[in-house]
Amino acid sequence: MKNKKFFENMKRLFNPESVAVIGASNKFDKLGFHVMKSLTTGGYKGKIIPVNPSAKEIMGIKAYPSISAYSGSIDLAIIAVPARFVFQIFDECHEKDVGGVVLITAGFREIEDPEGAKNQEILKQKADSYGIPVIGPNTFGMINFWHNLNASFTPEFSLTKKGDIALVSQSGGMSHLLSFLSQRHNVGYSKIVGIGNRLNVDFYEMILFLKDDPHTKVIALYIEGIDNPMPMIRAIKDMHKSKPVVAYKTGSSKSSNLASKSHTGSMAGRYEIYIGALRQAGAIVVNTAEELMDTAKALSQSSIPDGNRVAVLSGQAGPGIAASDMAERVGLELPPFTEKTQKRINELLPPMAIRTNPVDMGPAWYDASATREIIDVAMRDENIDAVILLIMYASANIKAVEGIKEMLLEWKQRKPIITCISAPAGIWDKEVSFLEENKALTNYPSPERAAQALGNLWEYKKILLRG
Amino acid sequence: MKVIEDAVKEGRKTLSEHESKLVLRHYGIPVAKEVLIKSRDELPHAIAQIGYPLVIKGCAPEIIHKTEEGLIITNIKNEDEVYTAFDKVYEKVKDTPKGAVLVQEMVDGKRELMVGMIRDEQFGVAVMFGLGGIFTEILKDVSFRVAPLSKADAFYMLKEIRANKILNSVRGMPAVNLDKLAELIVNVGKLGLENKEIKELDINPIIISGENPVVVDALIVLK
Repeated sequence: MKNKKFFENMKRLFNPESVAVIGASNKFDKLGFHVMKSLTTGGYKGKIIPVNPSAKEIMGIKAYPSISAYSGSIDLAIIAVPARFVFQIFDECHEKDVGGVVLITAGFREIEDPEGAKNQEILKQKADSYGIPVIGPNTFGMINFWHNLNASFTPEFSLTKKGDIALVSQSGGMSHLLSFLSQRHNVGYSKIVGIGNRLNVDFYEMILFLKDDPHTKVIALYIEGIDNPMPMIRAIKDMHKSKPVVAYKTGSSKSSNLASKSHTGSMAGRYEIYIGALRQAGAIVVNTAEELMDTAKALSQSSIPDGNRVAVLSGQAGPGIAASDMAERVGLELPPFTEKTQKRINELLPPMAIRTNPVDMGPAWYDASATREIIDVAMRDENIDAVILLIMYASANIKAVEGIKEMLLEWKQRKPIITCISAPAGIWDKEVSFLEENKALTNYPSPERAAQALGNLWEYKKILLRG
Repeated sequence: MKVIEDAVKEGRKTLSEHESKLVLRHYGIPVAKEVLIKSRDELPHAIAQIGYPLVIKGCAPEIIHKTEEGLIITNIKNEDEVYTAFDKVYEKVKDTPKGAVLVQEMVDGKRELMVGMIRDEQFGVAVMFGLGGIFTEILKDVSFRVAPLSKADAFYMLKEIRANKILNSVRGMPAVNLDKLAELIVNVGKLGLENKEIKELDINPIIISGENPVVVDALIVLK
């Protein structure tokens, strides 16, 4: 496997003091232009060394004709030049003792021409013998939010919130999608890494690296399929109890092996075995990109429930029913409250409301203190492991979030408070993000997604319990 | 195991149902009582051992899909039926290499499950659990794990299929003995790891008799 130098170099790769951009350009139609823009606008604090044989400076920064021409040391080299130049650049990186490479260049294993795969193999042998970890080829790059390092060709990745989820993805498109969705839903990342065609940094190496990364608490994986999945499976198994792993595997549609003689053979697509192996290793397996993000967010922001008993408290009946349906579908239960809790809720709500679990708090909309106390007694109920709280804005309840803020900040999700607090843009956004940043709740765009996220938290609890 | 080695030496790609079950039995997997016979003369002895009601099946390494070929006659209750059934099935298999007839106990139970194993080039031995009989391919309600499996892994597979309630006490039927079923699954993984010549294994159906799983049919495919 990989030696110590390799993993030391992984640290330099992700936390470089100096970054060379090979193929840096002032021209918009070159990827090297966008990489430069990502670095310079992303707030990177280290030294940027544009490399371009014909330009004196790029974006106002002094350029060099080659990395050898630069006298200082280089921790990270981002390569965005055509494939035919890459061999020589790798040799130069070795001579220059570069720590790691982000190889954006495409045209290796993914192309139809077998030369591509052959060249990738030669490149891999070089990189391995030099002990240089390489992200890519054929990647958009990677972002280390805790180092203000956007080593990708999309500057807007830097608009994503800094947090403690590490996304490792086999797809550039999926990484972009998740980043943009996360920007809208207040989900923060420690790193987003496009491993591309995985020269020598695959899921396995990334998981080992992230295991010791102090900024990463949750690992989210987007997997299409790799040549040798078992090292990844074993790495997940080794670490899922210290850092939860959420995995989204696609490719279920073309899986079955029709030529097989046995029933098992005809049913056993790679996809099905992947899902089984991931679950066996202790990963939480999800089915959509949104569920990947939602689950990672819950694991990052919420506590883990002790059990599966949930109180659904809703400002309006409909969302409460929708959340309850989904809760049941994902293995949660809505038990009756203790007598004491129920008695107090009965005092707070008029008899016209549904006062048992799920509670319709609608009739108390005018009374912020009643709402606050219902949430409070439900949270403290010994029959309850988590709360799903649903509040849809109406002009008359504009003070609803303000009214429960202090209590939620004090409670700090000692039991998970999973919410769908929804309002037109600009109305409760600030309050909700403030509460999220203080880990006082975990908010979702719909009641169903809130319930599903809580279901996956419970799933993780079960994984932890199974010993 | 000898039965596998012999088949490999003969260049065969499959084991017969009877041979496949010998392998399962070796791994402590509960298999329906059966006797393999090659002539009418052996029938009285076989009947004495198995008892009525019984099942007559055609059996040979090359026979894979018995139902489709009319090679299974079930619920045989008396001597008249058994001879007619034997003649009918024997006629169809006698020209097949190693063609023979299985006299098998009739395992009574409405719930049919399946366990399978496949040697995947990336994951190695993968074990499958799901609904058996005609539902296997229709519903594709299955769960996989990679060998070696712990008992906890096997229990998780049982819970993971959508139709997991079939294992509970339903419609007057007792709850399935999950411990025995999980053990069966664990042993299939072990069997796969210890016999590299096996490429695929189907145990389908496993009939739940009372509360216990009993293997009624099995097929081992060699590399």
